[in-house]
Amino acid sequence: MQLCIFDLRRGQQEGQELDKILFFFPADLPFATQLSVIGLSEGLITFTRIFSPDAACEVIEAERHSHVFYEAESDIWMVMVVDKSKESKAACQVDALRKVLKEVHSLFVLFHGTMRSMLEKETSGGLIRSHLYPFITDYLSDFLTGRKLQLPSFHDCLMERGTVQMLTVGREAAIEVQSLVKVLECSAGTTSCYSLVLFQDLLVSTTLSPDDTISLFTYAVLRLTPHALSSGATSWSYLQRNNIYRSRDASLDQENNCQVKRPLHHNRWFRGNDGFLASDIWGTDNGSQTSVTPIVYLQLTEERMYLCAYQHKSLTIILLVPVSSILNGEQGLSLVKQQVLENASLKMLMVEEKLSKGWGGENAYHVSGYRYLLVDDERVSRASPPAKVMTLAKESLLALSKLREEVNLEKKRAKCSNSEVNCDKELEICVRAKNGAWVIARTSRGKELYMVLEKASETLLYAADSVEKFSNRFAFDALHILYIEAIISSPRYFVLYH
Amino acid sequence: MKERNTTSTLKRILVNCSSQAKEYGGCVAKKVPEVERDMCLKEFLALKNCMQNVCLTSVFCYIKNFSMSANASSSQLTVGLSGSGGLSHAYVQYPPLKCNLPGSRGLYYDDANKLLLSPTSDQVFSWKTVPFSPHVAATADYINEGPVLSIRYSLDAKSIAVHRSNQEIQFFQRETRETFTHMCKSESESILGFFWTDCPVCDLVVVKTSGLDLLTVSFTSKSVNLVETKKLSVNWYVYTHGSRLVLLASGMQCKTLTGFQLSSVGIVRLPRFEMVMAKSDANSKPVLAAEDVFIITVYGRIYCLQIDRVAMQLHSYRFYRDAVVQQGSLPMFSSKISVSVVDNVLLVHQVDARVSILYDIFEDSRAPISAPLPLLLRGLPQSHTGRPVNVGESLDRNSSNHELMFYGDDWTFLVPDLICDVASKSVWKIHLDLEVISSSSSEVPSNLEFLQRRKLEASKTKQLCLAITRAFILERRPVTMVAKAIDVLVSSYSHSVKTCSNLKETKVDEASASVGTNASNSSRSAKDESRVGVGDKSFNLSASDSDDQSREIDSRDLQKSGKENLLGAESSRGEVQSSSLHTQQLGLGNNQLNANNSERQDSQLTSPAISPDEMYSCVFVPVGEEIVGDPSYLVAIIVEFLRSTNSEKIKVRPNIYVFTIQLLVRYERFAELSLLIINKVLEPSKEVAMQLLESGHQNPQMRKLALDMLRQLSLHHDYVTLLVQDGCYLEALRYARKHKVTSVRPSLFLEAALASKDSQHLAAVLRFFSDFIAGFRNTPEYQDYFRILNEMNTGLAV
Repeated sequence: MQLCIFDLRRGQQEGQELDKILFFFPADLPFATQLSVIGLSEGLITFTRIFSPDAACEVIEAERHSHVFYEAESDIWMVMVVDKSKESKAACQVDALRKVLKEVHSLFVLFHGTMRSMLEKETSGGLIRSHLYPFITDYLSDFLTGRKLQLPSFHDCLMERGTVQMLTVGREAAIEVQSLVKVLECSAGTTSCYSLVLFQDLLVSTTLSPDDTISLFTYAVLRLTPHALSSGATSWSYLQRNNIYRSRDASLDQENNCQVKRPLHHNRWFRGNDGFLASDIWGTDNGSQTSVTPIVYLQLTEERMYLCAYQHKSLTIILLVPVSSILNGEQGLSLVKQQVLENASLKMLMVEEKLSKGWGGENAYHVSGYRYLLVDDERVSRASPPAKVMTLAKESLLALSKLREEVNLEKKRAKCSNSEVNCDKELEICVRAKNGAWVIARTSRGKELYMVLEKASETLLYAADSVEKFSNRFAFDALHILYIEAIISSPRYFVLYH
Repeated sequence: MKERNTTSTLKRILVNCSSQAKEYGGCVAKKVPEVERDMCLKEFLALKNCMQNVCLTSVFCYIKNFSMSANASSSQLTVGLSGSGGLSHAYVQYPPLKCNLPGSRGLYYDDANKLLLSPTSDQVFSWKTVPFSPHVAATADYINEGPVLSIRYSLDAKSIAVHRSNQEIQFFQRETRETFTHMCKSESESILGFFWTDCPVCDLVVVKTSGLDLLTVSFTSKSVNLVETKKLSVNWYVYTHGSRLVLLASGMQCKTLTGFQLSSVGIVRLPRFEMVMAKSDANSKPVLAAEDVFIITVYGRIYCLQIDRVAMQLHSYRFYRDAVVQQGSLPMFSSKISVSVVDNVLLVHQVDARVSILYDIFEDSRAPISAPLPLLLRGLPQSHTGRPVNVGESLDRNSSNHELMFYGDDWTFLVPDLICDVASKSVWKIHLDLEVISSSSSEVPSNLEFLQRRKLEASKTKQLCLAITRAFILERRPVTMVAKAIDVLVSSYSHSVKTCSNLKETKVDEASASVGTNASNSSRSAKDESRVGVGDKSFNLSASDSDDQSREIDSRDLQKSGKENLLGAESSRGEVQSSSLHTQQLGLGNNQLNANNSERQDSQLTSPAISPDEMYSCVFVPVGEEIVGDPSYLVAIIVEFLRSTNSEKIKVRPNIYVFTIQLLVRYERFAELSLLIINKVLEPSKEVAMQLLESGHQNPQMRKLALDMLRQLSLHHDYVTLLVQDGCYLEALRYARKHKVTSVRPSLFLEAALASKDSQHLAAVLRFFSDFIAGFRNTPEYQDYFRILNEMNTGLAV
């Protein structure tokens, strides 16, 4: 696998091509090879732009490689080159890979601001390179299994990267959560505070814009939730040992390197005595010996916010406080934290208790007999628990993966042809896989449902009937996905219909 | 002397509050130079609290010193204490009820019938004091000439009993003017007094030095029959009809008291108990006098207050069926003390100090609810004085022949809330100024709690509560504080709803529950009962006293029905007015709402509880209009309100949800809004869905939520219509087929299909309707579109 990021606006003159490269993985590849990859990519982009100026190429399928393109910011491209292994030809899900690129970019922007703004700040490119290397290698380390990078493949076709998973709560708990959120916002003194409440790895409440919610949610699930805190990443040592992110650029001097913060660095978050999560990633405050609170950037408003995370048992609360509202840095923040504890700690205990009472466990959203993925507006998703998806045969998954690709194509085509009509493309496809399983996709009004039915003997009629049943039971055909969640999460209701 | 006092007050503050002062100072110093408002609020409040307490006690001391100094003239006192700008927590309204009659031989008060009685040589004139009106006409009855020690009308008001002498009570029948006399049997005992009772076994209770005589009175046989005698040596007695309790004092110091409660369900003998009396020295034995003991009824519980002159304390005792429990003491700043109870608030009149202190003994707190202030005279005609008249200011300007001396020696405090000025023969009724009381309290939640317990002038209290809540929110107090205040209002409302709907039921429950209550679990029972006390419309006599008493309430309700009706009528007028005023002001124009409101208010006049609708129209809407900028604070408060109503299981009408949506949409807080909708914090309803649709112009997500809500509510027609509007006519058709929706006109679908310029779709829709609706093929619509379709197809072919 190769991953590169380059800026088309740089290195236009001959002999300065190296200047384009902002990041290349693996870093120890000879420059010539790096340049050839980038040169090819650039050529393809330039070429396809002739036909489609707004959206240049997305993917190039070669015999042994797939090039996945993602224009992260204008003229800044991320390209991922994946080898096609013999056994899983065309099994890699291009869309899933693009979502990986998108995710790493959005996380980068969350902590460092846009790449463009960084490039503008320091035109030599040293700054952004010094930030990108540790960041992306840290990110990629999550995909390591043993010594191999395990990128999203057909196995993951019943999950959707870049969406949030929500916890379904009853009205009473929801009111308590809202009440808590309001108290949190008000206790920080300014009204422009934002908050994100998670229970386990599921989102409970957010006051952020959808995009920011997704990035912050992703980060929280990666590094902040109790699950992330406890597991850590066992395989991190491999990258560290091999020193993959060894600095290549001459301008990246030692001193600079020390100042680079690595928000995705593993095992650097821990729960403080006061319940707030702390990390030494951003160093410690000289005066008070407390760790420095990270600052994140909001995409929509480009506001800079302090990120305070509080954890009580399974409940994680992320509070974003505008940097501009806190005058004396850490000292001011600790006051805010104190106030939050004073005003809201009781409420947090209560909310945690209420949520854990209603929490159905890992398999809460499992619907027996079905393996499904529901996506709403490409922002919220819900799927059968991974452990249940594991039970599916490889053929079924491969077929679904293929089907998903088709659906994505279809979706894109629909988007291109009539972008004004808000009524999205509707389709329903049932495919019989080699092993006799039915693989089904259904989209309607922004909602997507993917399903695998492994009952080999059944007819198409049966499959269609099952989808209808599932859809009806969960009122899919035009019902908001979150309503479906509500029903799925209520086992009693389910039993009634079963 | 004054100056010395102020300096000492300051000194006392500094000495007592040094730690708080230090903390506050330290906090400010830390933040200098960035000084902001409410910067060290917590510390400041602590300091303020401490200072106020010290000030309060110092005022007490001040009063004490003052009243004890021999040369303290009343005018000086006025200067010293009227600093509050003529405000007072309690007042009397001018004009008083004048009972001035030529030839009057004194004034008597019959607290059972609430009559003021004034005998002349051969007549007795009576004035009703409930409802209190200064213009009430006197009724005259004939009695024989003779000395009068006291007069009481029988409870059915048919006969009059006159206490003539130590040995003699004379009875008169009002209609027939029949009369006869009841004499004491033996010379050794003398009659101390008597009262009529609704006890089933007897009509009249005569208190003699030898004990109680329970008698029945019969005019047919012109005699009284002795039913029962309770032998007891009695020095003096105290009785109030409100409590049906007679306390008999015996012993050398008269501090051994025996109580009997003679209620409509029977006689309860309370255990004998001793009053606490401090001794000034070992040998002195202070004697308790009848004037030193007061029976009061507050929140349906019976208390006895006893003056301890040596300790300068007012001890309180609470009566249970089988126990008397001392409850704590109130301070005394005057040698002469009197008490009144107005709307369940205890007023302790420090007569010599010329101030009254208010206590709300609902909880165990013995703290006064406001600073000691004098009673105020209100409503004096403009020509006499432009400003309210304060303590002790003699009203000699008013008229030459009568002079009103506040807290003068001529004042007699009648049970429960009247003042009789014997000299000028005028009677005043004490009112509470809840506005002043509440404005003197900075703790809004507890203040609201206090107000919600007030039953008189319910509509006024309600308006006051609403105003306080509005102001509290507009001041942007911390959400947690506002939430507390809202909790108070909501739980009060929920309680009032519960008690109103099944008043009888609760009483029965209570009765069975309170059997066997004794002192050991008195605290618990007190709590249970207190819940009842708040919502109940009449003062229900301590439920835990006896199981029978709770039933007794009913009869008393009947008795008082005259009063209640009149009161009710009066306040209902006010209520309707005020509510209509509100709708006008708010321009709501929602007739249905208005009708509902006044209707409910009529039925619930006895409680100032605020319904969710009133919260919406009188708090949230006006506040929403006034609050500028970010609505998240108000939304936070509405969420708290919803939390509160949800926990009390009170239904909220959709208008408040609609209002919340409007607020959030106005500031484009769509993320929050969709969470609120999805989690059903804003419960789904058609109104909510329509409001969401309206906001759909700004955010398509909202429209989607609205559609989903309609679908979920099974509002098929609206759902299908909207789908067609969105251009999803095929999906709409599918849905229509599935749910058999026939109410949407086919032309809508056809138009939508035509607009999409897809001949296949149009053909499909046309085909669908000709299959789905019988006879559709014969309608002109079908013909039209069939023609259009043909044209389209030929056009394509060409």
